[in-house]
Formats: sequence, structure tokens, C-alpha cells
Amino acid sequence: MIEFINVSKSYDRGIKALDNVSVRIDKGEFAFLVGPSGSGKSTFLKLMIREETATSGKILIDGKDVGRLKQKDIPYFRRKIGFVFQDFRLLYDRTVEENIVFALRVIEASEKDIRIQLKNVLAMVGLTGKEKFYPNQLSGGEQQRVSLARALATKPPIIIADEPTGNLDPTTADGIFKTLLEINARGTTILVVTHAKDIVDKLNKRVISLDHGRIVKDSQRGGYQI
Amino acid sequence: MKTRTYLIKEGYNNLRKHGTKTISTIFIICATMLVLGIFIILFQNVNKNVQTVRLEQGLQAFIDDSATQDDVEYMMDEIKQIPGVKDVTYLNKDQAYEDAKEVFSGLDYFLDGIENLQIFPASFVVRFERIEDSETVKSEVEKIDGIYKVKYNETTIQAVIAISKVANVFLLGVGGVLLVVSIFIISNTIKLAVYSNKREIFIMKYIGATNKFIKTPFVIEGALMGLIAALISFVLISLGYVVLYARAPQIQASLGVFGFLPYSNLWHQILGIYIILGLFIGIFGSSISIKKYLKV
Ligand SMILES: Nc1ncnc2c1ncn2[C@@H]1O[C@H](COP(=O)(O)OP(=O)(O)OP(=O)(O)O)[C@@H](O)[C@H]1O
Ligand SMILES: [Mg+2]
Repeated sequence: MIEFINVSKSYDRGIKALDNVSVRIDKGEFAFLVGPSGSGKSTFLKLMIREETATSGKILIDGKDVGRLKQKDIPYFRRKIGFVFQDFRLLYDRTVEENIVFALRVIEASEKDIRIQLKNVLAMVGLTGKEKFYPNQLSGGEQQRVSLARALATKPPIIIADEPTGNLDPTTADGIFKTLLEINARGTTILVVTHAKDIVDKLNKRVISLDHGRIVKDSQRGGYQI
Repeated sequence: MKTRTYLIKEGYNNLRKHGTKTISTIFIICATMLVLGIFIILFQNVNKNVQTVRLEQGLQAFIDDSATQDDVEYMMDEIKQIPGVKDVTYLNKDQAYEDAKEVFSGLDYFLDGIENLQIFPASFVVRFERIEDSETVKSEVEKIDGIYKVKYNETTIQAVIAISKVANVFLLGVGGVLLVVSIFIISNTIKLAVYSNKREIFIMKYIGATNKFIKTPFVIEGALMGLIAALISFVLISLGYVVLYARAPQIQASLGVFGFLPYSNLWHQILGIYIILGLFIGIFGSSISIKKYLKV
């Protein structure tokens, strides 16, 4: 499902963010991507959605060579991957419902699909009943759930999250991870960048550790370790 | 279909979000259109009058001094055979002098003493069947040996033509400058719209919006501004013309022969040009900004 083959990424000023990274994440897996600040975690995710292009190596996602995507195919490719941000990235002048419908409009879903998916994802993230709330009327955890619902709405086979609980307290973070596990249980491949050591240890899932742009550890049932 | 409705709505919402900016943008486009509308009205009215006068008075073809009586008769026959010619009259030097006297009536002293110099050349006055024939007839007459100059008999409205020429240059100049300013302002408005929607655009890109989907609301915003300006300008210029037309008799009296076109002959042309121009300014202006600021 996700495969990096000898991928390196250097930014303009010669900073090597990723250094010859090879890794494979299968369909339906749940994996953590951990490492110290500046180790290349966000870069890894950006390469996946072609926000950045690898300097060398090859990235395959769902069989597609990401680096060779034509400009006009990139939007359609991105629909395969739901992205969740640390700071939620919600539209604050729109209600919960409108934020989710926004995503469905973007992929030009039919009115019928919009109705069905809205209901489905609200239930999935546990926000049924909060449709008409504005993000400012919600707690941080709830806001992240809206962002998760938005990512799920377009039914992507992959969800990637960059420090989704970075702005949340531990209890709230637990709840978000619980939901992520539920989504994973339905077949969605999930890759989460996190600094939440406790949770990584507790969940006993695959952990890929980066340091200075290299994979230093990859354990199937690992704990958080740098 | 639903997507299109959604994108149009987004474009309209953008318009409303940037209220004052929208209004001032529409204002400048209206100014451009009004200047252009005045140009169209002036141009069409002058043109109409020129045609009327041409049809009534035809053209004058001046004959070389060396032409003999036989030559003149031969030329006259030739002119008569040109398709579209209604009638031809020969004007000898004496008649030309009399005509000139009429033109300079009240200034008789000006012509005293030059009577014998015979500086007024003989000529033919050629009239047309239809105004559409005038140019071809003119060029055919010019080809005839012994004719050294051909011009339309437009003395009665020459002043109007001269003034309208100056006015046209002025109006087109001002209109052109305003057009450039309009496009600049609309592109600036769209630039601000792009900035204020940065967050939406950013999120859209992550979700997988196509470039077209992201751009369309801004193009629609520009096009709507152009169309609204077109309608406002059309109403204003229509009112203006109707008021002017009501005073046509007085103006006609002071200008002599000048007659005004009824608005029913003009409005569709003005509306058509306004709509096309509005769409052009709106779409072109917004496209500039989208290209520059919406790196999609
Ligand atoms: N756009 C960029 N231009 C230049 N250098 C960059 C850019 N983005 C990231 N970098 C550099 O690449 C390296 C890896 O950055 P990256 O954001 O991937 O790290 P990270 O593991 O996500 O860190 P953090 O945990 O702090 O978010 C860093 O040294 C960073 O300064
Ligand atoms: Mg990061």
C-alpha cells in the first residue's frame, strides 16, 4: 500500500531531511512514525501526498509512482489519502456539518453521497448531534474529531496524521487514538506521526523510528524509543 | 451540475464578503462602460447623419481643367453605367461659383474680385441608389480618366464630423485608460479574495481539489462584477439617452440637419457590448490574479 524505496529528500539549503529511506506499510496496517524534532517525519508525510518531491528514490502508493504523477492527476491521487493536522485546520466560519460537507464538495460528491457520508462520519467520530456547532464552540478534542471526520468523509484508503494529539491533553488524546483504531479496524491504513510516548507504548503497534532522516528502528510491536 | 451550482454560490458569497471592495470595483467598471457607451452613441449618431447626408447629396467628382465638352459627356456616360448610381448632374464653373456664393452667403465680399479667376472647377454630382453603394461608386468614379478628386458632399455637417472625430479620439483614449484601470482593479480585488480565502484553498488542496474547482469561484466572482456593472451601466446610459432624445428637437434646431437615432436602434448593441466587455474585464482581470497568486 505504501512503499518507500531508497528515498532521499534534500531541501534547498542542502539540509538532508530524509536519507535513503526504505520501508513498506501494508494495506490495513496501523503504524507510528516517531523520532526527534527535525528527524524528517513531516517530510515523510509531505512526500506521500506529493506536497514535496523526493530528490531520489521511489515512492509507491496504492501501486502509483508518486514522483511521476502528472500535475493534473495529483488532486485525484490525494483523494486516496486523508490528512489530519496537529492544529485541526478547520474553517471557523462554518459549522461542523459545513466543514465536512466542504470536503465532499471538493471531491464533487453527489448530494446523496454527501448526506450519507455526513451521517456516517459523524457517527464514526462520535459527533452526532453537534452538526450545527461552530468549531469555537467545541473542545480541542472535538475539533480534532471534526478534522478526522473531514478526512474520513471522502473514504480514503489511507489516513495520515501529523501529531494529531499534539495540542490535546492525554485523556483527550486517548480518545482520538481510540477512534483512529476503530477506523483502522474497518480496513483503513493509518500512519501517525506522534511524540505521545505513553500512547505508543500502550497501543503495541508497529513503530518506525526516524533519526537524522534515517530509519533507525522498525519494530512490529514496539514501544516508543528514540 | 450540483458542483457548478455550488461554485457559482461560492463566487457570489465571495462578492458579498468583500462588499466595499466589490462596490468600488463595479463603480470603476461602470465608468469605463459609460464612456464607451457615449462613444457608441456619438459614433452611431454621427454615422447615421453622415449616411443621410451622403444619400441626399451624393459625392462630387472634380473634372480636370483640360477636359473638353466631349470628354465631359463621355465621363458622364461612364459614371451613369456604374452600378448603384442613381443620377449624375454636371456642374460647370459658373454654377460652381454660384454654389460657393451660397455657402459663403453673407460673406459676398470675400468672393468679389475672384469671379473671373474661375478658380471653381467643374464637377459632377453623383448620387447613389443606396448608402451601401457609396464606397464602391466612389472608388469607381476615382478610376475615371479626367477626374482628379472625389469627395462626399458633406459640407452641411462637416463641423459635426470634425468635432465628433476629436471627441471619438478623446473618448476612446479615456475609455482605453479606464479599461486598463478596470482590469487592474478587478485583478487586485480578486487577489485580496484569494488571500482572504487562503485557508480554504490550503485545505482544499489537501483534500484533493482540482485546479479548476479552486479557480472557478474567483473567475465567477470577477465575471459577476463585470455583469453587474454592465447592467448598471446599461440602465444609466439608457436613461441618459432617453432624456437626451426627448430634447432632440431643440438640439436638432441648433445643429441644423442633425437627427438622432431612436433608442430602439441602439440598445441591443450597447447591451451586447456591455455584457461582452463585462465578462471580458471580469474573467481576464481575475485570471491574472489567479495565475499569479493561486499557485495551484
Ligand atoms: N520547506 C523546507 N525548507 C528547508 N528545510 C526544511 C523544510 N521543511 C523541513 N526542513 C528541514 O528538514 C528537516 C526535517 O524536517 P521535518 O519537518 O520533516 O521534521 P519533523 O521530524 O517533522 O520535526 P518536528 O517533530 O519538529 O515536526 C529539518 O531539519 C527541517 O529544518
Ligand atoms: Mg513535523
